[in-house]
Amino acid sequence: MPRLVVAAAIVALSCAGAQAQNCGTKLEGARTLEAPKHTLVFRTEPAKITVGRHFAVDVVVCAKAGGAAADRVKIDAHMPEHRHGMNYKASIKALGDGRFRADGLMFHMPGRWEFLFDIESKGGSERLTSSMALR
Amino acid sequence: MIRAIAAIALCLLLAGSLRPVAAPGPVAFTEDEIETILSHGPWPMEWSHDPTNRVSGKPEAVAFGRQLFFNTRLSANGQVSCATCHRPGHSWTDGRTLGVALGEVDRNTPTLANVRLNRWFGWDGATDSLWAHSMRPLLDAREHGLTERQVANVIRDNADLACGYRRAFGAEPPADDELALVNVAKALAAFQETIASGRTPFDDFRDAMAAGDAAAMAAYPVAAQRGLKIFAGQGRCSLCHFGPNFSHGEFHEIGIPVFRKSGGIDWGRYQGVKLLRASRFNRLGGFNDDTDPDSGMSTRHVELGAQTYEQFKVPSLRNVAVTAPYMHSGHFATLPQVVKHYSEIDPANLHVAHIYLGDEYSLNEAPPTDDMLRPLKLSATQIADVVAFLETLTEKAPSPPPSAAGPGPCVMQAR
Repeated sequence: MPRLVVAAAIVALSCAGAQAQNCGTKLEGARTLEAPKHTLVFRTEPAKITVGRHFAVDVVVCAKAGGAAADRVKIDAHMPEHRHGMNYKASIKALGDGRFRADGLMFHMPGRWEFLFDIESKGGSERLTSSMALR
Repeated sequence: MIRAIAAIALCLLLAGSLRPVAAPGPVAFTEDEIETILSHGPWPMEWSHDPTNRVSGKPEAVAFGRQLFFNTRLSANGQVSCATCHRPGHSWTDGRTLGVALGEVDRNTPTLANVRLNRWFGWDGATDSLWAHSMRPLLDAREHGLTERQVANVIRDNADLACGYRRAFGAEPPADDELALVNVAKALAAFQETIASGRTPFDDFRDAMAAGDAAAMAAYPVAAQRGLKIFAGQGRCSLCHFGPNFSHGEFHEIGIPVFRKSGGIDWGRYQGVKLLRASRFNRLGGFNDDTDPDSGMSTRHVELGAQTYEQFKVPSLRNVAVTAPYMHSGHFATLPQVVKHYSEIDPANLHVAHIYLGDEYSLNEAPPTDDMLRPLKLSATQIADVVAFLETLTEKAPSPPPSAAGPGPCVMQAR
């Protein structure tokens, strides 16, 4: 019986792993971020962000084993060294199947920016960050 | 295979030849500084019309806008025109601490040179198009002091102006006062779009650097080169005074007093965003001629947060040496005073850092600092060097006022 439980757990973990591995496979050129309960894959549109130009962010969130599907994702960005964020608030649409799209972001100056992703699900919330240097 | 290698080698050679060369000179610039310096050009920038204004770039509208710009009929006392404060012979500003028309206003008069390059207009960015911004002074009691109806009547009742309107818009001045006002503003914008500053000694230096022309680079004053190195390097001025127009077009709090001479506090961008959202003339309204659904992207997403308190727009630095006094309230009379302010700035006095940290900030802790606005502690020589650099942002020959040549005198149409 204990062997059966272990085997079932391994299968469950493998499935969750496969799901996480496949998370956002259709997002070409995307970056992958890992939280304890979710995998988040994102890419910007256009791929190259330009200072002072609006851009969008496409996001896919996949639940890992034990994690609930994401109900909501908040997307923001800031410049940690400068202690300020964007001057624009992204509008976020849920597209279903863990997919989200944020419009209206703008990095208004060069330097290090950090994306902030807050994943909200029935299991609580998780924050993921991703830095980039903008010239 | 050999062809492929040869092609790659050729590409590398070409890439190498196009790469800027840091020629040996009196001032050694780092690779980062060179990249920053090159980002401030080329100049002038390519012309592009304003899609929110259907008469942008139309010669008849430019001519009509010019007529309006210098016309004192567009004021309550018949003595004020746009050129009262935006004087062509004074770099399109007035040299005053605060602008004065029918009365004194609360802010310094900004230059109109290169105004078309803005995303937001005015010190607080309360408007999102040049034409919407052009309405504001017409209706302000301290500036032109008119009502919508009075503006419309001036156009309807004056034969020359009515003729200019017909040529610009292909129709008689409308009976609708609001539409007449909007179109007057669009013609004024069409004219102001043509006001541009010319090339500067800095532009010559920047282009010489891009071309790796050491001889041409040597013509640039050494003090200005030292100042440029501070500007693009340790001073990190280029972060906000970004790109060919030396402004990223957004807003910042830099510790300038915000008490109005007329009383109360100037909330700057905070009030600007509120006015923008409330305006029926913004890009989300029916007067925007742009059919692109993204035309109102910035207006739709702009954030009204506590960080906008007392922020003012980062101005362009082109022609800065001939557009004193400085800051939204004309607080500083000279460039050395401005540079000294940044050199000695105390970031702990800026409330933006406190707002940013929010609940994480405890009053028992040392005040947070903004790493961007840190005191540079420049020496007197270094301040003079930065000023020497800023002076090289003055156009070599003042740009002549845009030509009055229009489509010729109006011929009265039979009615």
